[in-house]
Amino acid sequence: MLFARKTRDSAPERPSPAVIHELVEIAEYISHLRQEIAALRANEITRDRIPMAHEELGNVLEATAGATNRIMASAEEMLSLPEDADYRVNVEAKIYEIFEACAFQDITGQRISKVVEALRQLELRLARFANAVKARDESGVDPSEADRRGRAERLLLNGPQIGGPATSQDDIDALFA
Amino acid sequence: MALDLSMPILVVDDYQTMVRIIRNLLKQLGFEEVDDASDGTAALARLKSRKYGLVISDWNMEPMTGYELLRHVRADESLRTTPFIMVTAESKTENVIAAKKAGVNNYIVKPFNAATLKSKIEAVCGA
Repeated sequence: MLFARKTRDSAPERPSPAVIHELVEIAEYISHLRQEIAALRANEITRDRIPMAHEELGNVLEATAGATNRIMASAEEMLSLPEDADYRVNVEAKIYEIFEACAFQDITGQRISKVVEALRQLELRLARFANAVKARDESGVDPSEADRRGRAERLLLNGPQIGGPATSQDDIDALFA
Repeated sequence: MALDLSMPILVVDDYQTMVRIIRNLLKQLGFEEVDDASDGTAALARLKSRKYGLVISDWNMEPMTGYELLRHVRADESLRTTPFIMVTAESKTENVIAAKKAGVNNYIVKPFNAATLKSKIEAVCGA
């Protein structure tokens, strides 16, 4: 009885101004965070931009492979042309096939420009978001990536270096001399 | 000693374009017996079925890399003396040294021309 009366009589404890201030700050931060997440437009990135980049790069790969094959086929056919009266005409025909195949560069250039622009947009939005939330990168590697990365580091190379080979052919030759 | 133009050569690369380029360069040099494989596993199977005078292999391939293929070849009693040239777009000194330690006979950086390929084949196959 005593307990029930005491509970009924006492008013709920009012939070201190410091706690209220902190809660207001948290609410403001959450609101700000929601705005930044919205500005990131993550759905647009995953629904439109990334698939577009995949598709464009896939097309570039296909176009370069197709053009290379056409150029090589023309060159191989040129090498096996009979040296008869029509030799020059036939060689010229093959050369024009090669010129035509080189048109891929214009189209692939445009496709790559679209991908570069998409990456630039992605970079801008991520940088803005990271800055807004003062994000810090978690240390370590995603466990699902660890195996793949480990194998790649141990056994695979990283592909061609930008700006030419890391070690020149002459320096490599010196190692084998 | 002149190059034996009749020796079979195995080209290992997962890019058919590169296989075709090397095939044409080898043809230009006079080699006609050229087989190819798309990775180390396929190459090992070919090496067990035919005696090759030279292996020209890319490094970056899956599931078996050129480096792994090289180690398999050098560990196999029947294949260990087969001349092996690594051809790759990547050329960090530590990788070249690793390949050399594993027993590679020479190392070519892509892109390369017929003259480079010829000089390495001559160096490896004793012209």
